Amino acid sequence: MPDGAATVQAADIHHVWVVFLLTAMGVAVTVYVLIFWSIIKYRRRDDRLPPQFRHHTLAEAAFTALPLLIVAVLFAVSYRAEVRVDRLASDPPVRIRVTGFQWSWRFEYAGGGPTVTGTPDHPPVLMLPVGRPVRIDITSTDVDHTFFVPAFLFKRMAIPGFVSSFDLVVRRPGDYRGECAEFCGLDHAAMNFTVSAVPPQAFDEWLRRGRTAVR
Amino acid sequence: MNAANGASAAGAPALPPPAPRLGLLGWLTTTNHKQIGILYMATTLGFFALSGLMALVIRADLAVPNHPLVGRQEYAELFTLHGTAMIFLVIAPFGLGMANYILPLQVGAPDMAYPRLNALSYWLFLLGGLVVMSGLLTRDGAAAAGWFAYAPLSTTGSPGTGMDLWCVGLLMTSASSIMTAINLIATTVLYRAPGMTMWRIPVFCWDMVVTSLIILMAFPPLAATLSLILIDRRLGGHVFDPTHGGSAVVYQHLFWFFGHPEVYVMVLPFFGMITEIIPVFSRKPVFGYTGFVLSTLAIAGLSMSVWAHHMFVTGAVDDPFFSAMSLLIAVPTGIKYVNWIGTMWRGAIVFPTAMLFAVGFLLNFLLGGVTGVMLAAPPIDFWTNNTYFVVAHMHYVLGGGSMFAAVAAVYYWFPKITGVMLRETWGRLQFWLMFVGFNATFWPMHLLGLWGMQRRIVTYPPLPGWQALNLVATAGAALLGVGVIVFLANIWVSLRRPVPAGADPWGGFTLEWTTTSPPPEFNYEAIPPIRSERPAFDMRHPEFAGGADGP
Repeated sequence: MPDGAATVQAADIHHVWVVFLLTAMGVAVTVYVLIFWSIIKYRRRDDRLPPQFRHHTLAEAAFTALPLLIVAVLFAVSYRAEVRVDRLASDPPVRIRVTGFQWSWRFEYAGGGPTVTGTPDHPPVLMLPVGRPVRIDITSTDVDHTFFVPAFLFKRMAIPGFVSSFDLVVRRPGDYRGECAEFCGLDHAAMNFTVSAVPPQAFDEWLRRGRTAVR
Repeated sequence: MNAANGASAAGAPALPPPAPRLGLLGWLTTTNHKQIGILYMATTLGFFALSGLMALVIRADLAVPNHPLVGRQEYAELFTLHGTAMIFLVIAPFGLGMANYILPLQVGAPDMAYPRLNALSYWLFLLGGLVVMSGLLTRDGAAAAGWFAYAPLSTTGSPGTGMDLWCVGLLMTSASSIMTAINLIATTVLYRAPGMTMWRIPVFCWDMVVTSLIILMAFPPLAATLSLILIDRRLGGHVFDPTHGGSAVVYQHLFWFFGHPEVYVMVLPFFGMITEIIPVFSRKPVFGYTGFVLSTLAIAGLSMSVWAHHMFVTGAVDDPFFSAMSLLIAVPTGIKYVNWIGTMWRGAIVFPTAMLFAVGFLLNFLLGGVTGVMLAAPPIDFWTNNTYFVVAHMHYVLGGGSMFAAVAAVYYWFPKITGVMLRETWGRLQFWLMFVGFNATFWPMHLLGLWGMQRRIVTYPPLPGWQALNLVATAGAALLGVGVIVFLANIWVSLRRPVPAGADPWGGFTLEWTTTSPPPEFNYEAIPPIRSERPAFDMRHPEFAGGADGP
C-alpha cells in the first residue's frame, strides 16, 4: 500500500486518506452493528403486531445533525490539504512540460534542457531531482490522457487545448511506475512511463549532458 | 377481462384469475401500463443478460496478467457497451418499468395518464437499445470510447459508424425517458384515488416523482450533448475540437451535468422499492415518512450541483465548491439509513428472499456510500480517480445497491404481476451466490485501485498483489453469473409450474395488494378508504387507521 512518503504532496494526500478511512470505518461499523442488531433481535417470534410507531423527531434530528457535523469536519481536513497540494511555488527551479499523445508521453525540460519522447514499446523516463520543487505544465495533442504516478498518490489530466500546472517535491529517491489513467484509445494500457527520482547533483549532471546532447 | 375475480380482493387469497393471454399483436399494440411494465422489465432483463455476459468476458480477460483473451478494440467495445447497457438499458429503465407497473396501482389509478405516450416510450427505448447494440454488426465495430465518451476521443478519435449509432440510440432512449418522466409525474399528480393525498402516496411513488423531476432536468442536456457529438462528427462542427477553438473541458461539464444526476435516476427508484419491502416484512410502517420524502427532495436538489466532482483531476474546476456539495449529499442519503433501520427497530422481521436481498442492499450500498464520501475529497480523488477504486465504488452503489434492490423488488412484486410465487429455496440459494459473488468480485477492486491499477486496461503487468486479487475478482464474477442463472431458472420454473399467490401473499400494506394478482385490466373494482400511506394494512387493522400509533 502506498504510504505517501514519496513526495511532499503525497504526505498531505495520505493524511486526508487516513482521516477519511478511520471516519468511514467508524460510521460503517456503527451502522452495521445497528443493522445486525435489528435483524437478529427483532426477528418475528409470534403473531403479535409490533408497536406501530412512525417517527421519532429527536432521533431523526440527531441523525441529521451528526452526519452534517462529520462532513463539515471532513471538508475542513480535505480543504486544508488541497490548498497545500495545489500550491504553486513562485519560482520553481525545475520546469517540465508534459505532453500526452496517442500513445505515449513527451517530457520537455525548460531552459534548453532535453526532450524525452516515448513510444508504447519504449516508455519514456521522467528524471526528477529529489528535494527540489518541480513544476509540471501538462497538456495533450490529441485526446484526453491522465498522468498518474500511483506512488505519488497523484494524477492530473492532460487535455488538448488546455494547460494545467502542478508542483511536485520528491522526497524519496527511486524509480516509480507511471501510467495513463484516462482511456485514450487502443494502446491506453501501454501508455506507461517511469519516474526516476535522483539526488540533485545527479539530476544536474543528467541535465547538463542532455543540454550538450541537444546542442 | 379478469373483472369476475376482482371480488376476492379483500378476502382470502383466491386462485389467480386466468392470465391475460395476449397474442403477439396484443403485445405489440398494448397501451396498458401493466403490459408495458412487463415489456420494459423483460427487455431490461434481456439487456442485463447481454451486458452481464460482456462483464464475464472482461473478467475472464483480466483473470491473469499479460494474457488478454480479446483484442484491444474488442475490449474497448466490451467495456463501453457493458457500461452503456447497464446504465441506459438496464438499471434506469428497470426502475421506470417497475414504476410503469406499480405506480398507477399504488396511487389507485386505472392506467398511466397518457397510455399511448407510454407505449411510444417503451418502443423508443427498445429501438434505441437495439440501435446502440447494432454497432456490433458494423465493419469497424461498436462504440469504443467508454460510456462517458469523452471528446475528442468520441469525435475525431473514433471514425467508425458504431459511435454514431451509439449517439443516435441514446438520443432515442433519452427521449423515451423524458416521456416516461412526464407520464409518471402526471399520473401521480392527476390520477390519485379519492383520499390519496400526496402525503399518503407510498414512498416508492414519491421516489419515482423525484426521479422523474431529475430526468426532466438532466436528460435534455444529455440529448444536447449527444447531438453536439454528432454535429462534430458528421456536420463539420468543432464544438469540442480545441484545434478550431472548441473545448474538450466543456464536453466534460456537459456530460457530467447529466451524468451525476443520472446516478440518482439509477438509485432513487431502488431506494423506493426497498422502502416498500422493509416495512412489510418488519410489520411496521416506514419510520420517518416525511423525513424520507424531504431527504429525497434534498438529494434531487443537491444532485444538480455536484457534477464537477468527476473533474477534480482536470485542474479546470472549482474543487472546494463541488467537494462541499458532494460531501453534503451524504447527509440526506444517511437519513435513509435512519429510516430503514428505524423501520426494522422493534419490528417483527421475517426473511423471505425479497427481504434477504433488501438487507443485502443495506449492507452493500453502505460501502458504496462511504467510498463515495472519500471520492468527494479532491486529494483522495487525485489518488483514486479512474482507478479500480472507483470501479469498486460505483459497482457497490449500482450493483450491490440498485441490482440487489431490483432482485428484491422482483421477488416482492412477481406474485402481483404474474399471480404466481417464485420459489423461495431457489431464491435463498441465489441470494448467497450473489452476495458472496458480488463482494468477492468488487471488494478486492478497492485495493487494486489504491495500488494504482487504472480502469479500462486490456491487460496488466504482474505487479505484487495484482495477480491474486484479479483472480479472486474473476472467480467472484463467475459465482455472480451462477446466481443470475439460478434467478432466470427460478423465473422459468415458477411460471411453468405455477404456485398460485393469491391477492396478497405477504400481508402487504399498499393499495396494489387489495386487488387480484394479476390485477384486472383497469386495476380496481373498488378502492378501499384511504387514511394513510398503507390502506391495505388499515383495512386489516382499523384500530391503527389514519396513521394512529395504535390503541
